[in-house]
Amino acid sequence: MTLHTCLGELILSNPVILASGTCGYGREIAPYLDLDCLGAITLKGLSSNPWMGNPPPRIHETYAGIMNSIGLENKGFERFLREDIPFLETFHTRIIANIWGKTSEEYLDIARKMDALERIDAIEVNVSCPNLEHGGESFASDCQILCQMVGALRRIIHKPLIVKLGPNTADLENALDFMEKEGVDILSVTNTFPALAVDVENQRFVFSRKTAGLSGPAIKPLALKMVYDVLQRTHLPVIGMGGIMKAEDALEFLLIGARAVAVGSANIIDPSIAIRIIEGIDFYLKRKNISCLDDLIGRVR
Amino acid sequence: MKSAKIITIRNLGSSFIEMWLEEKDIAHLARPGQFVMISPGNTFDPFLKRPLAILSTQETQFGLLFEIVGRGTELLSQFHPGDLVPVFGPLGNGFSLSPKEAILIAGGRGLVPLSFLANYFHQKKIPYIFFFGMKDHSEAVLSETIYHLQPSLILSCQEKISGQYHGTVLDAFTDWLAHSSSTSETTIYTCGPQEMYQEMSQIKAITSFRVEISLESRMGCGYGVCLSCAVKKKGFPGYYHVCKDGPVFRLGEVEL
Repeated sequence: MTLHTCLGELILSNPVILASGTCGYGREIAPYLDLDCLGAITLKGLSSNPWMGNPPPRIHETYAGIMNSIGLENKGFERFLREDIPFLETFHTRIIANIWGKTSEEYLDIARKMDALERIDAIEVNVSCPNLEHGGESFASDCQILCQMVGALRRIIHKPLIVKLGPNTADLENALDFMEKEGVDILSVTNTFPALAVDVENQRFVFSRKTAGLSGPAIKPLALKMVYDVLQRTHLPVIGMGGIMKAEDALEFLLIGARAVAVGSANIIDPSIAIRIIEGIDFYLKRKNISCLDDLIGRVR
Repeated sequence: MKSAKIITIRNLGSSFIEMWLEEKDIAHLARPGQFVMISPGNTFDPFLKRPLAILSTQETQFGLLFEIVGRGTELLSQFHPGDLVPVFGPLGNGFSLSPKEAILIAGGRGLVPLSFLANYFHQKKIPYIFFFGMKDHSEAVLSETIYHLQPSLILSCQEKISGQYHGTVLDAFTDWLAHSSSTSETTIYTCGPQEMYQEMSQIKAITSFRVEISLESRMGCGYGVCLSCAVKKKGFPGYYHVCKDGPVFRLGEVEL
């Protein structure tokens, strides 16, 4: 029985990854689970310089989910290097750095720095953040801008390159074609869904930026559809994510062809939940008499 | 994730619940000022756990005392003895524990973590005085959980109740302070609504003391990964996170 899964050159001991922004830089969640039992951990999104994020309120609970407007707060590369890399070096689990910037140049800068770190196994690019050179619209909302930036990143990133596509990716078909041609290695699908909440008592929007990202089990069927749609159009390996709370949820993504899954909001309510999801997948394979995960992936087309 | 077994649960007046739970690790590790994240149910509605301050510990049990303020706390109030509740903790930094002498100032449900602290000082024979302020008589039920701390207790109420100081807890405190011999080696510990802290930072005499405040915040995770419980740093750019950097801060460290 093997839970190994290959995403191009990135080989994971099992298909369960912790999603960016729900496990800190590893140290925060480490007291609650053994990082080495995970397929991989995706670090909180990092930019070259520290970024303070949005004013509160930053979180709002919905039916079966949460909306967040954290605003990409992070400690910046230098502090990460000093405070977290020595800790991460004591583990052998795969580590995926998640990077972002406000301009193309900022993306390239953090990409160069991360690519130079031996302990980082792959780099995931968040392309859903606001592009300050183009009026604050998301990088992913203009196919040409997205492709230009991904092309530039590919030329400087030597590690496996993961592009994280959110629900608002413009012209998905062309974008996927381009990523295949440019040599992107892996796709992460999806990100939080843009959503809105109104504070009825005070008659105003809950969040100062009005919209916020919805995650949790509320989005699982939507995320599953998005992963399915992407898999119809590309040969690239996909990390499926969106509302995974238990092994059955993860298995849905794997059965439609995702080669790995990421657990996000579930970590917020139970920091050791990923271990039970791995055990649940293992148990399912035994019960179904499937000897390796590869035989399961993509069985439902 | 641990499950704690509810041993006792009782109503205090119409809006407060006191609950004791069996979970030896939390009971042994908890320090005054820390909190737990507790699940209000096994469904996804509500989705998040609730951060609740620890009232006290006894051998293998820990106590919680909370006000029913929304759907999560409403559901928690409907549990029964014997029920198992997913919970994790203790979380957060807690109060400093070795002052020469202490002044405790609690407003409303802010009594909870300070009650734990007062019990600790009582045991360690650290001299303290405990001001507990009630908004109205509905909060008087809370004071029964600290009656055993007499004579170190000064109760006040903004509504007139016979035999008690009439005014806010800060009125009671400043009146007392005017005649006290407290020195700068006294630490002041407070927990209460935001307005209480704002008013407190206006009291001139308070600047000579070390003042610790315990903040309440909406939280996502409780252990420092979601960064939801941001509170603005005072005098510096950026935010602290109540769950990990707090919930106890120095007065003057955060924007109120």
